[in-house]
Amino acid sequence: MSLRDHIDSLTVDRDRDVDTGVDREKAVAIAVFLIPGLTLFGIFSVGPIVYSAIGSFYAWDTFTMENFVGLDNWVRSLTDPLIVHWANMQELRYPMGALTHNLLWVVLHVPASTFFGLALALLFADLKGRRILRSMVFAGFTVPPIVIGLVLMFIYDPQAGIFNELLRVVGQEQWVRNWTQSPQVAIYALIAGGIWVHTGFSMLLYSSALSAIDPSLIESAKVDGANAWQRFWDIVWPLVKPVTAVVVIMGIIWVMRMFDIVYAAGGAAGGPNHAYSVLGIEVYRAAFRPEIDYGMAMVVALIQLFIVAPLALYIARMN
Amino acid sequence: MTSISMKDVSKYFDGGNTVANYRLNLEVDDGEFLVMLGPSGCGKTTALRLIAGLEQPSEGAIYFGDERVDGRSPSDRNVAMVFQNYALYPHMTVAQNIGYPLKVRGVPPDNRDRKIEEVTELLHIEDQVDKKPGALSGGQRQRVALARAIIREPSVFLLDEPLSNLDAKLRQEMRIELKRLQNELDITTVYVTHNQEEAMGMADTVAVMNQGTIQQLAPPLELYERPRTAWVARFIGSPPMNLFRGTRRNGSIDIGEAGTVELDGVMSEEAAVEAEGGGRGQDDASAASVLTTDARGDVELGVRPEDLGVSTTRPTSGNAIEGTVDTVEPMGEYILVNVSVNDQIVNAKMSDGLVSRGDRIYLTFDDDDAYLYDDNGELVA
Ligand SMILES: Nc1ncnc2c1ncn2[C@@H]1O[C@H](COP(=O)(O)OP(=O)(O)O)[C@@H](O)[C@H]1O
Ligand SMILES: [Mg+2]
Repeated sequence: MSLRDHIDSLTVDRDRDVDTGVDREKAVAIAVFLIPGLTLFGIFSVGPIVYSAIGSFYAWDTFTMENFVGLDNWVRSLTDPLIVHWANMQELRYPMGALTHNLLWVVLHVPASTFFGLALALLFADLKGRRILRSMVFAGFTVPPIVIGLVLMFIYDPQAGIFNELLRVVGQEQWVRNWTQSPQVAIYALIAGGIWVHTGFSMLLYSSALSAIDPSLIESAKVDGANAWQRFWDIVWPLVKPVTAVVVIMGIIWVMRMFDIVYAAGGAAGGPNHAYSVLGIEVYRAAFRPEIDYGMAMVVALIQLFIVAPLALYIARMN
Repeated sequence: MTSISMKDVSKYFDGGNTVANYRLNLEVDDGEFLVMLGPSGCGKTTALRLIAGLEQPSEGAIYFGDERVDGRSPSDRNVAMVFQNYALYPHMTVAQNIGYPLKVRGVPPDNRDRKIEEVTELLHIEDQVDKKPGALSGGQRQRVALARAIIREPSVFLLDEPLSNLDAKLRQEMRIELKRLQNELDITTVYVTHNQEEAMGMADTVAVMNQGTIQQLAPPLELYERPRTAWVARFIGSPPMNLFRGTRRNGSIDIGEAGTVELDGVMSEEAAVEAEGGGRGQDDASAASVLTTDARGDVELGVRPEDLGVSTTRPTSGNAIEGTVDTVEPMGEYILVNVSVNDQIVNAKMSDGLVSRGDRIYLTFDDDDAYLYDDNGELVA
């Protein structure tokens, strides 16, 4: 092919790209496929958010909107000890309020499940049969959360539970108790269960990030004289950092929306005397259990949304 | 400084199903430039990784100087390695990459910066130090990898096909630069490549490898002048040596319909080589068996393309093999004539192209330029 031909063919290509007919067809096709998704998004996401944002400023008689009350619902909800229990917090006694409990989940559950996820991923990276182990751990995450709650109930059962049995076997009888019904320790038992479940998810994300690291980088560091600790901090950690951001944020979102595990363990009250209630439980009770308080349900749901939405957006915009 | 020796080193993978290296015996002197040359999959990288300590031998022992090092970690061996893909740390700048071996050894930042400056100047990358590897060209990455390897003055320098990702021109440049660098630094070097030009051009000694074993260990010139096996003969040279299959019969070699070659001349050269005292015991034995005039058996007669003459008439004396011109390739520097001899294509290099496709011609050669390999592929003459 002569140079002339070559240049000609380039121009032809360009002409074809500029062809607007193709672009319009593309746009139509995209629109066709987006319509169902956008409709659902509008009906089930935007609609309710707008509806509750407006509704949170009105008084409610069960499900009927009454008169405008300004910040009344907000003030009432935020000062409700069910949401934030200042007095108990000062004495470090449960219940401390659903929002506090949620934040406790964030502080304990998220770092722990992130750390264990990374640790397990590193451990399994060198192991034979790591696929099987990995899928076993991940299985914990694919099980519906309500089932996990029930499994936790089984583990913590005062009579037949494995956990108490384990304590008896190792001779720590003084610790044996009804874990999910002891107000001062129950939340930790649930958080521990949550960590167990969520670690599988973090591990999976970390595992794929680790397997994306070129093994010759690690070998190169070995030859360069780095010990295992230096290889981790200097090479592996910086390369899995973006995944850490995802793991942490997904973890925060997961615990902020916590419902099933708490419901399975403590019912709609969120444990004895609401000892480990979370925001999701409070929304549920306010909206669906007598005394129905729709205004409060909307406010609490919006608080959840305020915390979760920016994080979700951050992840969506990460590349 | 350090010499390397491998004694009967074998490496098996997959529970012994894959033999990557088999009984390697190798001595690399202090400051020597050894090149491992062989086709892809022959076990070069594995051998290099054994020396580096990234793999442990299944059998055998590796020594640096007098010290046995197999079982030691790479960092205890003070080796530096340039990986085929360079293995630069993508999240570090060029300077951080180069300084990393010093950093992990606790060299203070001031010293480190001075050394970084030194090696980046040596390799002409002083302008790139603040960039990330992703922003560099292939040649620049190559230099960074080299800089990182030499900055801590290793006792052994290992390179795995370091030039294979570069284009031809750059490869040539870097070859010269690498060779000069190794001369200056005088570090014991093991260099792996499948490219024989690189091997011949840079090596003090070449280890030709095939299927996990070392076929021949020799300086480049010896490798060319005296390939010890038919396999090496077929591998070295571009194009490599022609090997005619034939049968020994009553003091001559019968090459099918193409003619016969008298053994006397070829053998007398062998006698001369033996007289020089260069012969090995094994050679002597096999040579003796072939030399017995009534011995029969298959042999291969080898002649390099550059040692073949092309003649359109049957020469009155000397060796001649008959064939038909298949194709003529004018390469500029020489003309490559591909001749069909007994359905086998034979290459001859000519300075003029007076023949054309279909011509019946005679390939001539001197006794001195002929090689003889026995049915085990071992050189006998
Ligand atoms: N880690 C490994 N596991 C299994 N087989 C391997 C491994 N490394 C190399 N091999 C095998 O060993 C042989 C030699 O490989 P290698 O040393 O990479 O060859 P080269 O570098 O000469 O191309 C190949 O057959 C390869 O498949
Ligand atoms: Mg290789």
